[in-house]
Amino acid sequence: MNAPAASIGHESHGHHGPVLQYQPGLPLSRGKLIMWLFLSTEIMFFAALLGSYVVLRFGAAVWPKPHHVHLSEPIGAFNTFVLICSSVTVVLALEAARANKRSLAKSWMLLTLILGSLFLGVKAYEYSSKFDHGIYPWAPRGRIYERPDLYYGSAVRARLSDPAILAKIKELDGRPENELSDAELTGRRRLKQVKDMVNNPDQQAFDLAVVADQIMPLPGEGSDSHDHGGGLNDTFAWLQLPAVIPGGNMWASTYFFLTGFHAVHVIVGLIVFSILLLYELGPAAAGMIENAGLYWHFVDLVWIFLFPLLYLF
Amino acid sequence: MSNSEPHKSSNVTHGPITSPGKLPEEIESVVEDEQSHEGHGGMMQYMAVFVALCFLTTMSFLTYSSYWPWRDEPQVGWAFMMAVSCTKALLVVLFFMHVLWEANWKYVLTIPAAMMAIFLAIMLIPDIGLRNRMVSQERALHMARGSDVLLLEKAASAASSGEVEKHEHE
Repeated sequence: MNAPAASIGHESHGHHGPVLQYQPGLPLSRGKLIMWLFLSTEIMFFAALLGSYVVLRFGAAVWPKPHHVHLSEPIGAFNTFVLICSSVTVVLALEAARANKRSLAKSWMLLTLILGSLFLGVKAYEYSSKFDHGIYPWAPRGRIYERPDLYYGSAVRARLSDPAILAKIKELDGRPENELSDAELTGRRRLKQVKDMVNNPDQQAFDLAVVADQIMPLPGEGSDSHDHGGGLNDTFAWLQLPAVIPGGNMWASTYFFLTGFHAVHVIVGLIVFSILLLYELGPAAAGMIENAGLYWHFVDLVWIFLFPLLYLF
Repeated sequence: MSNSEPHKSSNVTHGPITSPGKLPEEIESVVEDEQSHEGHGGMMQYMAVFVALCFLTTMSFLTYSSYWPWRDEPQVGWAFMMAVSCTKALLVVLFFMHVLWEANWKYVLTIPAAMMAIFLAIMLIPDIGLRNRMVSQERALHMARGSDVLLLEKAASAASSGEVEKHEHE
């Protein structure tokens, strides 16, 4: 134990009685100590989230591949790069503030804020592309089925007999062929096929797999999900038919939970940075910048683990 | 030692304390520590760490590219990516969070938290990690299995070969 407080207590036990004077228990400022204590709780918080993700993922019978759930690895890598850059800029802001280069510190801080917002923007774009494919973390909006079984078939049937959808299909069928694009023509033919298969009383298990594939194919390894021709859901955005992604529901829950909590942390960091921008960023503010920076590096740290776990595993 | 004690005793002791404790030295060393912050770090070092981080990100991205030789053994890629991630995390913690230059208190805060974190994950294995070893019949009926993926892939290949035929007809 080399805490100064303890050593003082010992040596002064002898003749003079206790000699007490205030001194920090640890050689660091209170703000930084509190920030580190907070960060150690954050370590456990995110470790619990990441740990349960890993355990859920490897305990699952089937887990979707990243391209099955329309994750784009290059976008994820880009976001990693953005966060790393913002970590560097916040460190440079701290160094500039210590050297009393106030305007330089402010511009580094502003750049950090911009990079953080860019990260959030990319994240929002990714979320919206999940929502477009019916991947939601909860049931009423989520259209993901685990397997192409009878329940899936009846859900497709129910959607296709929705009056609004029926009207749209009727309108589509009424349009002359030369008005439709190639994709729409194939889509129309496929839609008819799907309707027949779903309503067929002698339907086989394989038929429902074909239906699922026509509605939203699981993109193959390496092939781009978008030039795959897409499924019916891509061709006709209004259709919004239920889709099959084996393991997709658990995947959606963990994905949105992990990235959602991370995004909340990013938002908090951005609020802190915007408050800091109101101050003069000289040596007096260095402590504040350092603490905000510690928090921000931690957010970066979490993403460093989230990126490979979610996008590349 | 409570915070109120020092105030009381400051009436009793007079003058600066030099001999009984090592206090003055201690405080000086703290001040030095604060000043030496400018010694470490520095633009060049931060840039070197930044370049290393970018390089490592590209490395983990490599497992996704077609140059990765172990496509059939995902475990190799997982181990590789975790190693890369840990290295990146270490770089960020040591240099950007200045932990490399901190005193020994860093171990007090980080090691117990890290142990708790690992323990937490291990505790989840029996109930959650092994949850599919024994499942109710109803759950078995509804949960996705490897065979479902195979079925969907078969349907996809059947459909794509069918598509090709139809295109030729047109």
